[in-house]
Amino acid sequence: MKLSTKKIVSVATLVAIAAFGLFATGCGSSETEKDVKSSADSSGAVIQKIKSNGVLKVGCKVDVPLFGYKNPDTGNIEGFEIDLAKAVTKKIFGDDSKVAFTPVTAKTRGPLLDSGELDMIVATYTINEERKKQYNFTDPYYTDPVGLLVKKADNIQSLKDLDGKTIAVPQGATTRKAVDEAAKKAGISVKFAEFPTYTECKSAIMSGRAAAYAMDQSNLHGYVDDQTVILPDSFAPQEYGIATKKDNAELSDYVNQVLNDMKNSGEMDQLLVKWKLKN
Amino acid sequence: MNEIFAEYKWIALFDDLDIFIEGFITTMEVAVCALILSLILGIIFGVAGVLPQKWVRCINRVYVEFFQNTPLVIQAIFLYHALPHLHIMLPVTAIGILGVGIYSGAYMSEIFRSGINAVPKGQMESGLSQGFSYWKTMWYIIIPQAKRMILPALGNQSINIIKNTSVLAMIAGGDMMYVADSWAGSNMYYGPAYLSIGIVYWIVCFLMTKCVKRLESKGEVGQHGF
Repeated sequence: MKLSTKKIVSVATLVAIAAFGLFATGCGSSETEKDVKSSADSSGAVIQKIKSNGVLKVGCKVDVPLFGYKNPDTGNIEGFEIDLAKAVTKKIFGDDSKVAFTPVTAKTRGPLLDSGELDMIVATYTINEERKKQYNFTDPYYTDPVGLLVKKADNIQSLKDLDGKTIAVPQGATTRKAVDEAAKKAGISVKFAEFPTYTECKSAIMSGRAAAYAMDQSNLHGYVDDQTVILPDSFAPQEYGIATKKDNAELSDYVNQVLNDMKNSGEMDQLLVKWKLKN
Repeated sequence: MNEIFAEYKWIALFDDLDIFIEGFITTMEVAVCALILSLILGIIFGVAGVLPQKWVRCINRVYVEFFQNTPLVIQAIFLYHALPHLHIMLPVTAIGILGVGIYSGAYMSEIFRSGINAVPKGQMESGLSQGFSYWKTMWYIIIPQAKRMILPALGNQSINIIKNTSVLAMIAGGDMMYVADSWAGSNMYYGPAYLSIGIVYWIVCFLMTKCVKRLESKGEVGQHGF
């Protein structure tokens, strides 16, 4: 009696594992079929498909002032990156209203691209080697150095004063690596605490859990207040690019072309000036 | 699906295995300590919930209703972000143990209370009428019967404790979930990271279930029903 229950349990476990395996490979194979199909009838097909969808699905930030920020007064998402996405939309549809923005965080933007939920990400997405392996990036449209936000009361003047202290960084951002390298160069050692959101990073310095909040400076400008200050240190310039799915090189080329046209025509500079990112 | 689990991502995972092992150790430390704490709290408050004195039962209700009816995440965030403003800076592992322990203790105490309450009233009355004191009746007559009711639920709650330690990921706790978040966040190789720790959580919880099953058969649970 006892033995048979044991047998049933082990058989059930095996079945469960096997079923999961089948499910995983099943998904895998269907995905590859789709890939083959889409690359086969490629020329212009990707843009055509977006056109037939009637909307360009873009992932953006809603908490980075000047780049992608949901204005609490109007409820609209606005910023430099939002205008960039609209420019691409206008190129595809001839109408910049056919864009659907989805707020993303550093952590969610990758998975949202992978799942096909979004066509592209314009969300202060730093280009680096690891990410290039998985996604297509356009040429950089903006370069932003990493900065440090500290509490005024803590009397921290520069990176050197952070020796042995904890630095708050958001999960999924490249900041940790950048600060780590800068700290090594400065001959100090720092610890890191990673948080899911920017607000929690800020909260961590306010409660004294961390001595500094390290992030791209554009982002820090959204979190500085009368109790905090951004240190003059800036390091590791981060190049932002528009990311698309790896197997969708066509869309990436297309978007890159749009960006290049904007750079050449001076439209890009106009936008940068509009958002006070350039004088 | 294929690209999410690409081979180079698995290789990267195995290169950084020591980080994940560290996270696993933290998770286990917190889980074991929280389990012990919640058992102690569960017994104290569970018994308090069945005592004849009304004010003692009242303490039990306040504790249980407060911790059972607020999300663990809020409790953890409060301990981590708010307490320092009151000049109480608990280390993050302590927050894990206290947070998960006290939260689960509320569930544990309900398990003990309901287990004891499920023993028919007549048992206590007959014990007292035979000249046993209240505590002796409790120990020799009520608890052995309540045990059969308590153990299976206790097993469930223990598994929840292991899984609930993942709340530490919200507050940079260095546990397995945090490590996976952090690692997957830095390189976006989230497929292997989450799948692997998912399997590890499963194995730990599965082994826990097995242990409890063994305890149950030792305690003759389910063999002498009422």
